[in-house]
Amino acid sequence: MAKAFFIDTTLCTACRACQVACKQWHDLPAEETQNLGTHQNPPDLSDKTYKLVRMNERVIDGQLRWLFFPEQCRHCIEAPCLEALGDPAAIYRDPDTGAILYTRQTAQYDADAIIESCPYNIPRKGADGSVYKCDMCNDRVHNGLLPACVQACPTGAMNFGERDAMLEMANQRLAVVKAKYPQAMLLDPEYVSVIYLAAFPPENYHEFAIASRTPVGVTRHMALRKMVRPFAAALSRLG
Amino acid sequence: MDVSRRKFIQISGATAAGVAVSHLGFDLRPVKAHAQMLKTQYAKETTTICCYCGVGCGAIVHTSRRGDGRVINIEGDPEHVINRGALCSKGSALKQLTENTNRLTEPMYRAPGASEWRQVSWDWAIDQIARRVKETRDAAFEVKNDKGQTVNRTTAIASVGSAAMDNEECWLYQALLRAMGLVYVEHQARI
Amino acid sequence: MTNHWIDLKNADVILIMGSNAAENHPISFKWVTEAQKNGATLINVDPRFTRTSSKADIYTSLRSGTDIAFLGGMIKYILDNQLYHEEYMLNYTNAAFIVGQGFGFKDGLFTGYDDKKRSYDNAKWAFELDDKGVPKKDSTLKNPRCVFNLLKAHYERYTPKLVSTVTGTPEDKLIEIYKTYGATGKPGKAATIMYAMGWTQHTVGVQNIRSMCMIQLLLGNMGVAGGGVNALRGESNVQGSTDQALLFHLLPGYLPMPSASIGSLAAYNEKFTPKSNDPRSANWWQNRPKYTVSLLKSFFGDKATADNDFGYGWLPKIDDGKPYSWLDIFDAMYAGKIRGFFAWGQNPACSGANSNKTRQAMAKLDWMVNVNLFDNETGSFWRGPGMNPADVKTEVFMLPACVSVEKEGSITNSGRWMQWRYEGPKPLGNSRPDGDIILELGLKLKELYAEGGTFPDAILNLKWDYMSGHRYDPHKVAKEINGYWLQDKTIGDVTYKAGTLVPSFALLQADGSTSAGNWLYTASYTEKGNMSARRGQEDAPNNIGLYPEFAWCWPVNRRIIYNRASCDPKGQPYNPDRWVVKWDAAAKKWTGDVPDGGWPPLQNPDGSPNEAGRYAFIMTKEGHGQIYGPGLKDGPFPEHYEPLECPIEKNLVNGQRMNPVAPVYGSDADAHLTCDPRFPYVGTTYRVSEHWQTGLMTRPQPWLMELQPQMFVEMSEELAKMRGIKNGERVLVSSARGEVQCTAMVTKRFKPFKIGGAVIHEVGIPWHFGWRWPESGAEESANLLTPSTGDPNTRIPESKAFMVNVTKL
Repeated sequence: MAKAFFIDTTLCTACRACQVACKQWHDLPAEETQNLGTHQNPPDLSDKTYKLVRMNERVIDGQLRWLFFPEQCRHCIEAPCLEALGDPAAIYRDPDTGAILYTRQTAQYDADAIIESCPYNIPRKGADGSVYKCDMCNDRVHNGLLPACVQACPTGAMNFGERDAMLEMANQRLAVVKAKYPQAMLLDPEYVSVIYLAAFPPENYHEFAIASRTPVGVTRHMALRKMVRPFAAALSRLG
Repeated sequence: MDVSRRKFIQISGATAAGVAVSHLGFDLRPVKAHAQMLKTQYAKETTTICCYCGVGCGAIVHTSRRGDGRVINIEGDPEHVINRGALCSKGSALKQLTENTNRLTEPMYRAPGASEWRQVSWDWAIDQIARRVKETRDAAFEVKNDKGQTVNRTTAIASVGSAAMDNEECWLYQALLRAMGLVYVEHQARI
Repeated sequence: MTNHWIDLKNADVILIMGSNAAENHPISFKWVTEAQKNGATLINVDPRFTRTSSKADIYTSLRSGTDIAFLGGMIKYILDNQLYHEEYMLNYTNAAFIVGQGFGFKDGLFTGYDDKKRSYDNAKWAFELDDKGVPKKDSTLKNPRCVFNLLKAHYERYTPKLVSTVTGTPEDKLIEIYKTYGATGKPGKAATIMYAMGWTQHTVGVQNIRSMCMIQLLLGNMGVAGGGVNALRGESNVQGSTDQALLFHLLPGYLPMPSASIGSLAAYNEKFTPKSNDPRSANWWQNRPKYTVSLLKSFFGDKATADNDFGYGWLPKIDDGKPYSWLDIFDAMYAGKIRGFFAWGQNPACSGANSNKTRQAMAKLDWMVNVNLFDNETGSFWRGPGMNPADVKTEVFMLPACVSVEKEGSITNSGRWMQWRYEGPKPLGNSRPDGDIILELGLKLKELYAEGGTFPDAILNLKWDYMSGHRYDPHKVAKEINGYWLQDKTIGDVTYKAGTLVPSFALLQADGSTSAGNWLYTASYTEKGNMSARRGQEDAPNNIGLYPEFAWCWPVNRRIIYNRASCDPKGQPYNPDRWVVKWDAAAKKWTGDVPDGGWPPLQNPDGSPNEAGRYAFIMTKEGHGQIYGPGLKDGPFPEHYEPLECPIEKNLVNGQRMNPVAPVYGSDADAHLTCDPRFPYVGTTYRVSEHWQTGLMTRPQPWLMELQPQMFVEMSEELAKMRGIKNGERVLVSSARGEVQCTAMVTKRFKPFKIGGAVIHEVGIPWHFGWRWPESGAEESANLLTPSTGDPNTRIPESKAFMVNVTKL
């Protein structure tokens, strides 16, 4: 049975333990950053930053909200990156956990194309040409541990477990949260293994919080099925 | 789907055309096997309490049993009843506090007017410090105050610190300072 | 904390004011969130909208330095609307006590003020005593001189309108918060307060906290699950280091430091052992002589005997009434009166108020010892900004301490839990545990003084046998702190053998037959083992998260102090679902948490008084929670005063602009300016989640620097527009004492205040930076701006409210 995350943004305090715990477990170096007039840092995901708490100040219905969005790879159930690339040596799914995993073989491909294939704009190119992103702490999960980010989370914003259990938890929390935030919703729960609960419309959190719908009303899911095939055929290994 | 996200079809289609090489059939087993072995597998495990704020979260320290015997990993202790495995950003960075090339690892000395540090031995440093204490204390010891009351103290030496020490160390330190006759004894709790 | 971290989950209302728990005590939010999931309301009051505010059900802002006005308004609201818990108030607090005729209050001054000395004679504020010497009470609360009526009269002025004009908080928000919080006065409801330096770092710091204590007593929120007054302590062992008394005015276990006028142990005991003539007051401090003698036995071992006053004469004495606090140390050092200085595990060049004065003061020293993990702004002060090394004659010894995971020992968290930790890796390089360094220094001093010197007795007689195999042994010290039987002793039908560990402080003796380095920790390390190392996962029968066999907490593993006040006078819990203790009449004992004394309840089941019962607040002389507090330096009731530096000419509440007894220092480095157009904005300091204190243990870490790389100043969009400042640009923040470059963070989370009809802007800066790290040297300490003044009781500096300017670079 595949695993899933449930990320309840209404409980996130942006302590950013997840961000550091991810680096700690993966032995990732720090980035040299500057204060750009926001507490959020680094500004974006990178080959050294797989997890990033995005922070946005919004006035919604006349009330100030400080919205936190712990962003990471969604480990899509039908992952466009994987399907598009069609090379399990570079991108594959761990059938036990559902983790979408990238290998060094991604360096053999056009990184920008892999990044562009992601509806959530997650993967990033490293200096070695490989493409990097969250690996679900697949090693930990196989050993009965929680992903580092989930374990570090103090408030229960980050959760991890069997997909059914996470969906159930997500729906329960949604019902509770709706009483206070009527616009609350789960973000793309059918398509991803990282299910977010947002109190407000997703665009308030991040441009890529959800995979948007196409203008003709075709869902992303359907669009993917249509698009993936030609893409897979076209995307090829670099020389 | 976001427009810019969908552009990839055109772009990648155009750039990648004509170099199609399939890589199916690559043996994935070594990659997977490696991914499933924990870096902490053979490490020594000890528990600690986080050294930052006053919540007192428990953490597990994984120390290598081989080579340099240094820390491999520090993460929240799931059996600690306060934090249940959670830590904040600082607690999650405990390994980098410990394994940090900026740390002081040798006693250092700066002479009056000098513009550089110089590395010294522990024995020399402790001996010299004790001698400074004795010289200053003996020269400025007050048996009686202005009113003629017995005070047995020196106000020529002061100490600040430290809430960063263990209870046992704090207790020893205050005992020693009081035996030295210090009354200027303060630390973080005052600020 | 009177309660503890997990207990936050039991609250119906949580007020976070004077702290920013989500950022600075992030794991507290595990339990705050749990409470909210259980239906609790989270209220947050802060000048700035923080990560804590983002999770609050009710948020409002107030101008820094106006908390007493805010809370005084709450007291008035509780009284006007009769929201108080009457039975609790009458039985457990001094609300019914009659105050003597000496007390009065006029134009912002209490009676007994001496304007030359800038101090009060607080004897004027004493209770009226009956012929037995017990305070008179009027349980009908009709006597106009009873505390309850004086309280009403005092806070009559604190109307929502006045409070709003002082604090800048909208009136409707005040009422909403007062109503929500006040609703917990209902029996069975609990509200808790989480505060930290946002309340202490003021010239009215103690009275900020007193205001809240009074509210908690009025509402019956002390001693209950989900209640209490909870200081969120900022360092992992600042509770322990306070308990062990690294402070000028204390000896371990909150025993007062002896002063010059107290020439003998007998005189010390006479002066500091309170006497209550009320037989129902436990007056726990009557045991003080047992703790003092046991401490002296731990200090001096066999050398301490009844004949030599147990070595009392070897202790240094402070001059009566003279403070030797942090601010006083650096004032004396700046005046050139201090020759030698230890900065041990602390970074005063960045941590104290008015850092420029501190740094200049250090240059006047002959020698300094700096013990730390990293080189810092203190050890390297001689090469810091504005210093010419050749001109600085101070010798500096810098000693490398090891990190906590490289040694063994205990620390005490904010909830008073003493927890043991173990050695993982060995100390890096030639770094050493602080314990080894302290012991070595002590041994060397003993060696030198064995050859002669001034007053060698104290040093030579100090018991110093805490090594095992030439290394510091924390277990030996932990046992000494707990205390030993020094002679065989039979008490009741139990004989305790000499050399065994004392199981409880109730057994400590004043005759020299016991030792105890800190009576509060007696029971922490006994013949049953090291209690602080326990890992028991079981909760107590009341199932409120006490986990009594996980670690150990002082006193005697009592997890919620004053817990008998959670019950009615018959010993039955006000909240049967979240009970802390309850009286089992059949078994004649309390069950649940360790009760604060085993005496029966004040009343029998039929409501008749039980003379064997003792009042709930055992640490006060009268046994009652102090709504009226006659022991402080600045008044028995909190009163609003403006900070030393403030944006308005006149206190809108009374005729005194600032706390009339707050200390003000007069050196040329102590400039302060109030209502000066050069410094028009309120400034405040705070911390962020990703750094810690002066940043010395976080700035050398790339992972944390990535998250918060630079000094910043947060300001409103309105102020930024007015000053033409763009988000993300570097600006200069200055005060009468110094200036710091900061990156502007222009945010909706700061809003201008309307104060007395004027628009007042406030800005905020973190105090985590310093020139040594990052190595660019461009990020400096917020304490270059803060003033050296502070609270008259604690002398904690006023780092939370002062005046600044912000200019484009």
